[in-house]
Amino acid sequence: MTSQALKLRAGLFAVATVLVAALGAWLLFGRGALPIQTDLLALLPATEQNPLAEAAVERLAHANGDRMVLLVENADDARAKDAARALGKALAAQPVFDTVTAELPPFDLAQMVAPYLAHRDWLLADADRAALAQPGYDPAQALAQRLNEPFLTGVGVPLADDPFGWLQRWLAQQPWSRSPLLPEDDLLVAHQGDVTCVLVTATLKGSSYDDAVQRHALAALHTAELQIEHDYPGTKLLRTGAVFYAAAARAGAERDVHMVGWISSLGIALLLLAVFRSPGPLLQAFLSTAVGVVAATTVSLLVFGQIHLLTLVFGAALLGEAVDYSIQYLSARANAGAQWQAGRGLRQVRPALLLALATSLLGYTLLGLVPFPALRQMAVFAISGMSAACLSVFWLLPALLQRPAKPMTGALVRGARALQHALARPAHGWRGALLAATLLLVALPGWMQLRHDDDVHQLIAQPAGLLAQETQIRAITGLGNGSQFYLVQGHDAEQTLQREEALEARLQALVDDGKLEGWLGLAGMLPSQQRQARDHALLARLFDDPAHLRRTLADAGFRAAAIDAWLAAWPGTPLQLDEWLKAPLSTPFRQLWMGCHAQGCASLVLPQDDADDALLAHAAAGLPGVQLVDKPASVSALFGRYRGYASVWLLAAMLLIVPVFGWRYGWRRAPRVLAPPALGIALTLAALGYLGQPLTLFHWMALMLVLGVGANYAVFLHEGEPHAVDRPGAMYASVLLSALTALLSFGLLSLSSLPALRGFGLTLLLGIAFTALLVPASRAGSVAPCVRRQHSSGTA
Amino acid sequence: MRRLIAFLLLSGFAAAAFAQADQPLLQSVLAELGKHAAVRADFTQTRENPALDKPQSSEGRLLFVLGHGMLWQTTAPYQETLALTGSRSARIDADGRVHPVRSERGVSQVSQMLQGMLGGKLDEALRQFNVEASGTPAQWTLRFVPRQERVARVLGSITLQGDNYLQGIRIAMQDGARTDIRFAHTRDAGPLDALEKRALGSP
Repeated sequence: MTSQALKLRAGLFAVATVLVAALGAWLLFGRGALPIQTDLLALLPATEQNPLAEAAVERLAHANGDRMVLLVENADDARAKDAARALGKALAAQPVFDTVTAELPPFDLAQMVAPYLAHRDWLLADADRAALAQPGYDPAQALAQRLNEPFLTGVGVPLADDPFGWLQRWLAQQPWSRSPLLPEDDLLVAHQGDVTCVLVTATLKGSSYDDAVQRHALAALHTAELQIEHDYPGTKLLRTGAVFYAAAARAGAERDVHMVGWISSLGIALLLLAVFRSPGPLLQAFLSTAVGVVAATTVSLLVFGQIHLLTLVFGAALLGEAVDYSIQYLSARANAGAQWQAGRGLRQVRPALLLALATSLLGYTLLGLVPFPALRQMAVFAISGMSAACLSVFWLLPALLQRPAKPMTGALVRGARALQHALARPAHGWRGALLAATLLLVALPGWMQLRHDDDVHQLIAQPAGLLAQETQIRAITGLGNGSQFYLVQGHDAEQTLQREEALEARLQALVDDGKLEGWLGLAGMLPSQQRQARDHALLARLFDDPAHLRRTLADAGFRAAAIDAWLAAWPGTPLQLDEWLKAPLSTPFRQLWMGCHAQGCASLVLPQDDADDALLAHAAAGLPGVQLVDKPASVSALFGRYRGYASVWLLAAMLLIVPVFGWRYGWRRAPRVLAPPALGIALTLAALGYLGQPLTLFHWMALMLVLGVGANYAVFLHEGEPHAVDRPGAMYASVLLSALTALLSFGLLSLSSLPALRGFGLTLLLGIAFTALLVPASRAGSVAPCVRRQHSSGTA
Repeated sequence: MRRLIAFLLLSGFAAAAFAQADQPLLQSVLAELGKHAAVRADFTQTRENPALDKPQSSEGRLLFVLGHGMLWQTTAPYQETLALTGSRSARIDADGRVHPVRSERGVSQVSQMLQGMLGGKLDEALRQFNVEASGTPAQWTLRFVPRQERVARVLGSITLQGDNYLQGIRIAMQDGARTDIRFAHTRDAGPLDALEKRALGSP
């Protein structure tokens, strides 16, 4: 190809790149908020076959998602309360908060009770239902017990409205009556030993996952916190809410992006400068990588609409692999010396690059088949980025690399040659087999120590400090855990509530046995019409004989007017769903009702603490329409399943490469080419075992990449060496250069804040290092004694 | 509702600020009451309510064990034994079996507050109430008035009156309801029997 044609093609490619970059920029910045996702939930795969269960997970995660729950603690009661008031005022002054609740609005007891008076003949507490159903129920005795209760009676509901206390006891078992938080000095307060805890909540004006909202809200809270800690010494602030987790995740991911991105860029730059001894190759290598990153970002945004921060972290590490293509081309130029021709050089490296790209794409495609949104995005990012980087080497770089370059640093080439010799010599003939056997023997105890860990927290790293605070807040306030719940479904609202009642009977039995702290469900607040009718029927036995009932009340001392008014209120009306949903008291609990759809209706029941999974599952066993949903457990199970698949995939990928290598290198030599990555993976597994690292899905994914990258190195060496016969060691030097850049980028991932990425990075670090050291051995038969002999029997 | 009752009571007894605990009479009364680890008494409870045209009256025995709770044993007009321990309430049946009673937080809160106070711990009460002490250490009256408006709207006052022991409790509600508890034959309890120990969860 003429230099003219090369330039034309490069021009077209440059224009295309600019267009893609413009599109990417518009997708990123041109559509309002930055489409960078920090919601950890978005990372998790759909685990539930029931779409309603997924919807419920989403709802529970976000119902309280845009809210901060704060607890102000101080051993001094007055200080705790003053600090909470000050905190409330400080936060309310900030525009980022929509509403801040510290001091309670005035409310009237009578107003809270009034809506229930009309339904009092339909609602019974469990104990009253059981007592009224007894054949020997004695209303006179029940009345006497009620009227002579120790200390107090008829506080919530006036005695005249509720002589037997049925309504009062029903109201007393409602969740708002059971909260450990009590209104005190116009604040919601809980006392923990000597410490006073005051609840302050703040809803955000915007989403917890919005960068600007996060920053403003956290800054405002931080300032207010410092202020109250200063003004009210001894004050401690506990916090929970999605915004804190999202901010922590964002900070961790941003730190990772910066660290991996900058350190690896800097390291790669220094390395390239040292090797090629001129800034030109450095710029060209980065140009090629930049094209890859731009294309990857644009394609990911096009496919997914947004990009997860985790993908960016991974993307930053991908730089190290994308730069390999340009390194190979640049090495070819450096090795060609004065005879360099851009077009011929390209033809020379093209097979190696295509083969390398093919093996990488194979690895990433397998990664993309895992049904995890996060992994899919990484796969799409990698596939588009690697392809674009490789294309840029074919179409853009030749036009920029027309002139010959200085050869590679002599010291590096000599060093690489010495290393290559040292590594290749013992791998000769039977000694090679013996060496391999020894290595495997050494690896054996490591393999024996391998363990598994499929915990979902590998992927979602929640800071221990935040988790501890959340646990504490939950313990003090009695707020539910949100990760486990029951989904109850029925073909209409009535059936749903009936099924919930069946579940709640079992849960209450667990509570009575002390096995469960409590539960929160709709049916306790809004009994099914069937249950209300039955309760009503129990009461009707008394009301069917009004004269007798009147006499009982009169004998107990009730005034005639009170008796008349009470009897006249019979039979009242049952409590209906619509009305309940509209009642102000139901506001905090409305999320429990999932509503009705074409398929039916659904509601949620929340266990109140982290109860044993088996126990909770057992409580739902055999109940129609009731399903225990435990998202973290489901995801962990999925991790485990795919970890199992991943090991099979790795083997499959290796077998897929065999025919490719067999076609290219002949069937006898193919195993030798494949041996370094295969042995590298084996040794990596052993090393992980020795390090006591439990294997996760992410370790296996990294091993797939090791296979892809490792095969690249073998290919580069086998393809490139015949073209660099007069420069022994130069080809291995370029492979080492590739390996070092990969180590610089992927290896840095082993310092990531996310356990999953840490394991991923460590595995790559080990795998790439082992493979790079093993690659010379794969050419042991030809390289060591005489390079020229190898050339004659070289590749096709 | 229970929460409301609870805070009414808590309020009822709780918060009049520690400054008030400095009152010498209050201090000496609390010190005297705190000397008795376990007390038995006979009680008579009389209750008036606007819905009733004649007062209710009941009587029975009370066993009060500091740090554990109380057994409220009604003997007339019906037989019933309630164990009020900390935040829990239970009914003891004729065979001595303990049945947890749900949703009696209001009553248990009063008993908790009384337990705390008689044990010399006023914090809870002082958070919610202003306390006026009058009389002498030999014949005293403590009057608790809710500090908080939301409580004061329902509860008028709680008055404790006594000598070496607590002699009476009077609870006045804003709707005109009155509960009067008088104690007689108050004495140190001596050893508890097995049922009492089990019901109160004491060693």
